[in-house]
Amino acid sequence: MIKRRFSGYLFASPWIITFGIFWVYPLFYSLYLAFTDYRLMHHTYKWVGFQNFERLLSDQSFLISLKNTFIFVFGTIPATTIIALILALLIEKNFKGRAIFRSGYFIPSITSMVVIALIFTNLYSRGGYLYLLSEMIGFSTPANGFLLSNKTALFSVMAMDVWMSVGYYMLLFLAGLKSIPKELYEAAEVAGAGFFRKLFSITLPLLKPVALYIIVINTIKSFQVFVEIFVMTKGKYGSSTAVYYIYETGLSRFEFGYASAAAYLLFIIIATFSILQFRLFRRKTT
Amino acid sequence: MKFLRYIVLCLILLIMIFPLLWMFRVSFLPSNSGLSLINLFSMTWTLNTYLDILTAGNMVRYFLNSMLVGVIVTAGNILFCFMAGYAFARYQFIGKNFWFYSVVFVLMIPAHIIIIPLYLLIFKLGMYDSYWALILPFLVNPIGIFLIRQYINTLPASMEEAARIDGAGEFKIVFKIVMPLCKPALAVLAIQVFLTNWNAFLLPFILTSSESVRTLPVGLALYQGHQAIDWPHLMAGSALAVVPVLAAFLFFQRHIVSGITSGAVKQ
Repeated sequence: MIKRRFSGYLFASPWIITFGIFWVYPLFYSLYLAFTDYRLMHHTYKWVGFQNFERLLSDQSFLISLKNTFIFVFGTIPATTIIALILALLIEKNFKGRAIFRSGYFIPSITSMVVIALIFTNLYSRGGYLYLLSEMIGFSTPANGFLLSNKTALFSVMAMDVWMSVGYYMLLFLAGLKSIPKELYEAAEVAGAGFFRKLFSITLPLLKPVALYIIVINTIKSFQVFVEIFVMTKGKYGSSTAVYYIYETGLSRFEFGYASAAAYLLFIIIATFSILQFRLFRRKTT
Repeated sequence: MKFLRYIVLCLILLIMIFPLLWMFRVSFLPSNSGLSLINLFSMTWTLNTYLDILTAGNMVRYFLNSMLVGVIVTAGNILFCFMAGYAFARYQFIGKNFWFYSVVFVLMIPAHIIIIPLYLLIFKLGMYDSYWALILPFLVNPIGIFLIRQYINTLPASMEEAARIDGAGEFKIVFKIVMPLCKPALAVLAIQVFLTNWNAFLLPFILTSSESVRTLPVGLALYQGHQAIDWPHLMAGSALAVVPVLAAFLFFQRHIVSGITSGAVKQ
């Protein structure tokens, strides 16, 4: 390691500048705004203390969008994680055509979310293929399609989300499976262990770190669900989520102060969950 | 048993790729096809939708905007993530730990928190609704810096030391000797950045308003705004957004996969 103060700063400067202008400043600026009544057309705005936060806690549409976000997070993550794990176990071993299946399962997750959401808008609407399929198997279908009903809009978006992201997490599970030493399985086989015994005594316990990593990154991502809601439902039919609410109040009603307060509240929730999960992660892996 | 396994795997494969196949199928239908006329077994195929979006409307513009922004942002990330990654791996300077923690910090910050202040900032800087808004905030990213730093840490420093003893300048050492050695990591970085940028919606959407600087995902999402959805045209536009991704996947699958899994196993 060489001491080169000047070169060090010179080389790190693009990051330092970006960090300062596009991260530090916005973070502090919106923290400040969260305590003001700043909105478009109000060129003067004043400090209002915790008023925005108090208003949020009694704002029905915010609370509903927050509730939907929790439904989204706790509904999709278990499904996504379990399905991704099953997919990974299914194609773990080397067999003919394995690469095709792996690629095929993975492709939805690198496709643009906007495009996926548009395709599913088509599939979910009345006369669309998922709609017809549900009718065929005797599922009670809402009259105007899945996205135009209070009962099904949010769940339809969630189902699409699970479908889209399982391939991505499958890849992470595959990487985790690869790192399990083969000798463990050999020893277990010598001792006469069957498939399930090996699964529960070797595979699953050793996959725990990967599984927890997956859950942590997926939690942070899922709490911020926005694009699919914007494209598919515009937050209608009881499907608004927290970030959609922030977008709507901040950038279409231009209540910058109030929306910043909502953003910080969500931030606190996400941070709390991340810290809890990291704690769990530490304890389980050491 | 083996046969059963293949059947299950094929069934799942069908579920996973049907929506994309469906998108391509619909894009070849005549534009007056209402949803009820769109039939899996329809025999009508036409190229008219593609001719339409290539000759009229703004889809080509959106596509080119996405390409332009994607290429510049990717080039910026290759250069700047490499420079910062090198500084954090090899140099000792005051505050180095602090600046490195700033990278980790941003990695963990949920991005929703900056949408409103970033919108206001871009406005104040006079960059709203311009290419600058789509490029400047995204020229360097924490994951990229992290990736390059990790990679340089695995390289032996002996060659750089030898070059220094020979009296080579810092710039020559860093860009002529170390950068070529980092090609594998830079390839992973480039593809990851390009794909992320190509698919990005939220920030390009809030930082621009006019069609002349709109990127493809934003153009597609707002295309819906018209009253009755013209599915064949919309799906043809979507195909424009998907084909480059599929091509990238075909050629760089290894890089894409290693970019995704590199973070997970080292944890």
